[in-house]
Amino acid sequence: MKSVVTTVVTAADAAGRMPSASDLESVQGSIQRASARLEAAEKLSAGFDAVVKEAGDACFAKYPYLKQGGEAGDNQGKVDKCYRDIGHYMRLINYCLVVGGTGPLDEWGIAGAREVYRTLNIPTAPYVAAFAQARERGCSPRDMSPQALAEYNSLLSYVIESLS
Amino acid sequence: MLDAFSRAAVSADAKTACIGAGEIAALKQYIAKANTRLDAVNAITSNANCIVSDAVAGMICENTGLIQAGGNCYPNRRMAACLRDGEIILRYIAYALLAGDPSVLDDRCLNGLKETYIALGVPLTSQARAVAIMKASSLAHINETNTEAQMAESNQMLQQRYNKMATVKGDCSMVSAEAASYFDRVISALG
Repeated sequence: MKSVVTTVVTAADAAGRMPSASDLESVQGSIQRASARLEAAEKLSAGFDAVVKEAGDACFAKYPYLKQGGEAGDNQGKVDKCYRDIGHYMRLINYCLVVGGTGPLDEWGIAGAREVYRTLNIPTAPYVAAFAQARERGCSPRDMSPQALAEYNSLLSYVIESLS
Repeated sequence: MLDAFSRAAVSADAKTACIGAGEIAALKQYIAKANTRLDAVNAITSNANCIVSDAVAGMICENTGLIQAGGNCYPNRRMAACLRDGEIILRYIAYALLAGDPSVLDDRCLNGLKETYIALGVPLTSQARAVAIMKASSLAHINETNTEAQMAESNQMLQQRYNKMATVKGDCSMVSAEAASYFDRVISALG
C-alpha cells in the first residue's frame, strides 16, 4: 500500500541502506500534514450516511432519465447499488485521508473500474455529478477546518478525474 | 508492505467499514509520538555499525568455538557474512520501527530466514543470541542509557567526544517497547 512511509522504506530497501536523515525528514513532513487529514477522515466517517445520501440524490436529480425503463437505475435494486457504490468511493476516500496517499483508491477503487462500468453498461457521468455535489457541499468551518476540507476536496477531485 | 496508517485501511476494508474515531485516536497517538519515533530510528541508524559489531563480538566471546577452524565464523569470509546479516536484520527492524508496523520485517526479512539458515548450516541459537544483544544495545541507544550517554551526562567534554545525540529527554517507553517487540519477533522467527 503506497504511502509516504512505505515509499521511503521501499527506496531505502532497494538501495540496501538504513533510513537516512532525508528519509526521516520526508516522513516528518507527511506527519505534519496528517492531523488535517485525520480530522477530515473523522468528520467524513461521522457524517458518512448523510454525505452518501446527498451525493446519490444529486446524481438522480441531475439525471432523472436514469430511472426510466431500460436505463441504469430502472428499479430500486439498481438505485440502491448506485448509492452503495458512492458509499464505496467515500469509504476509500476515508482510507486515503488516513493513509496520506491515493493508494487505497488506486488499488481498490479505480483499477479496473472503467472496464467494469463499460461491461455493465453503466454511465459514469452520474457518479461525477454525485462527487461534484459532495465537493461543492463541503463547507469550512461548518464541516471541518480549511486545511482538512482542502485534503478532502482534492481526493474528491481525484475520483472525479478518474471517472471522467 | 504496510505502515500504521495503511494497516488501519486494510483492516477497515476487510469489514467494509469506515475508519472511525476509535482507530483514528490510535493513529493520532502515532503522530503525537512521531518525533520520538524518528529519534529512535535515528538512534539505531546512527549507531548501526557499533550495535552490529558489538553484538557479533559478544556472541563470539560467549562461544569462542565460532572463530576456531571449523567454526561458523571462520574464516573471515564467514565472519563478514555474519556481520552483514546482522546489519540486514537491524536494517529491517529500523524500517519496521519507522513504519510502525512489522509487515516489512516479516515479508522481506523473516519469511524463509530460518529455513535458509538451516540449509546453510548457520547455528540458529548463535544468531538469536546476536539479535538479543542487538536488542539490548539498540534499546540502550534509544533510551540513552548506553554507557557513553551515561558518562556524558555528567561531563561536558565527554559529551562532545562521545557524540551524544542532541535530543530532549522524554518518555520513550512506548517506542522502545515497540522496538523490543520487533527484535523479539526476529528471535522467535529463528527459534
